[in-house]
Amino acid sequence: MRLAFILSEIGSGLRRNLSMVVSVILVTFVSLTFVGAAGMLQLQINQMKGYWYDKVQVAIFLCGDGSTAAGCATGTATPEQQENLRTLLESPAVAQYINDFQFESKDDAYKHFKEQFSNSPIVDSVTPDQLPASFRINMKDPEKYQIISETFSSQPGVETVIDQRQVLERLFSVMNAASLVAVIIAGVMIVCAILLIATTIRLSAFSRRRETGIMRLVGASKTVIQLPFILEGVIAAVIGAALASGTLWAVAHFFLGEYMSKQYPDTAFISPAQTLILAPALLGLGATLAGISSLLTLRRYLRV
Amino acid sequence: MIRFENVTKVYDQTARPALDSVNLEIDRGEFAFLVGASGSGKSTFLRLVLKEDRATSGAVYVAGQNVANISSWRVPRLRRGIGVVFQDFRLLPQKNVFANVAFAMQVIGKSRSIIRDTVPEVLKTVGLEGKEHRMPHELSGGEQQRVAIARAVVNRPGILLADEPTGNLDPTTSMGIMGVLDKINQNGTTVVMATHDDDIVNEMRKRVVELRNGIVIRDEARALYTSMMPVVGQSRRFKDASGRPDGSAADPGDGVASTQSGEEL
Ligand SMILES: Nc1ncnc2c1ncn2[C@@H]1O[C@H](COP(=O)(O)OP(=O)(O)O)[C@@H](O)[C@H]1O
Ligand SMILES: [Mg+2]
Repeated sequence: MRLAFILSEIGSGLRRNLSMVVSVILVTFVSLTFVGAAGMLQLQINQMKGYWYDKVQVAIFLCGDGSTAAGCATGTATPEQQENLRTLLESPAVAQYINDFQFESKDDAYKHFKEQFSNSPIVDSVTPDQLPASFRINMKDPEKYQIISETFSSQPGVETVIDQRQVLERLFSVMNAASLVAVIIAGVMIVCAILLIATTIRLSAFSRRRETGIMRLVGASKTVIQLPFILEGVIAAVIGAALASGTLWAVAHFFLGEYMSKQYPDTAFISPAQTLILAPALLGLGATLAGISSLLTLRRYLRV
Repeated sequence: MIRFENVTKVYDQTARPALDSVNLEIDRGEFAFLVGASGSGKSTFLRLVLKEDRATSGAVYVAGQNVANISSWRVPRLRRGIGVVFQDFRLLPQKNVFANVAFAMQVIGKSRSIIRDTVPEVLKTVGLEGKEHRMPHELSGGEQQRVAIARAVVNRPGILLADEPTGNLDPTTSMGIMGVLDKINQNGTTVVMATHDDDIVNEMRKRVVELRNGIVIRDEARALYTSMMPVVGQSRRFKDASGRPDGSAADPGDGVASTQSGEEL
């Protein structure tokens, strides 16, 4: 009976304050979407780290036709220079830092390039000659990159030594910055959401002060008096959180899954299923926000 | 049933107390009028019984319990034992008569079947049979107050507090309301009614507690609205003290308000 009564009170409260309830839903929706976006970026970074870190290597690029580096005074790297580098890589001093290495010829490089940019017209304008040959080194400890770099940069026939991990790190730091921005926007929006929920509850308590006054007088418990107001805010916030979760899922499914993964086929994007891990967190966060802000409001505006 | 021990209530430090060292006992089943001019402290008295406010000093006992010792989560239980009606009825305008009375039972978790049985019974007691489905705006003031009374007593409280319940009603209607309150009192409910309606008090001949500036200046059984005995601090003196209806009141020469509670029981 009491439950049915509380439910009907919630229903009438939601109907009476419909426009406020809709604005609470929208504000929580937008703020939690930003929270979720930050979460998705972090998931994506983890995904890419897991995918790339055992694949990325230190690459020693050999001199090509137009190379201008100091070690390239003799023009395109000669087979002898190549052999010297291979010997050096196999020497105990260097071998202790690496798992294995591969030689990537100009033709191999051209093949990989074609695979990577298969949908791009740039492929047609590139010839194998323009791509440098390289040694691809799989490090035991990627942090030891500096040692390889120092050893090989000055070797004749070497144009440059590149730590591919650093290229990725730069990408990750951009993504981290983006997720930080998302978190800051989310923070501001959450403050809006809290204030709006507090105002909504206050209006709701005001418009029903007759009922609550009578409830107090006839001895209704604090729970029966306050719960409809608290649940009103919680329900609106949870609807907003559900919309935010749905939006994140849609982004993962349509944008990442259908569009981005075709544009960048060799990048591992997070799956829509993975975004669903975020959903319970967003729902919980929405409910907690609403619960806390309505409790604080009621303490001031709904004496029991 | 209600006992005030040396109760003082100060709302505003700079003003005089709303109640000043009030000692009073109202027994179970009694009917007492609380009379006095506007601002004399009648509503404050009732609010202290309900624990709507806390006494500044002294102790208020309701049903043997000091209300100061009732923790906030048990205050609802105290209030379930007390019905209240006001001058302005305080009905819910969008609910019909039945729903207004049922509301008081719903919010304390009474089952639907009990509500279905009890509400018509109580409406009969207050004389509103057949008007279950009327909306408040379709009722006269007297009828609205009957609904409010029905709501106040539907959970069978031991005490009914009425704060100027006839304040908005004409004399004839007021007497009807008094009939209802009397009937409820006959059924064993303690009734305390704040009023400054002298006709009603004179008609009912019940116990009268008179307040002035927060001080009990008279407490008389089966009394009239206007005191028939001289009172401390009152410049006006009655020539004929023997004219009072109740010979048991204080010694006229003494002039101190006496406390004689529950003697009509
Ligand atoms: N909530 C309040 N805050 C401050 N003063 C109050 C409050 N309620 C009543 N008073 C003061 O206390 C005195 C008694 O008021 P009240 O008990 O309402 O008298 P009555 O009901 O007899 O008219 C008055 O002087 C009134 O101004
Ligand atoms: Mg008053």
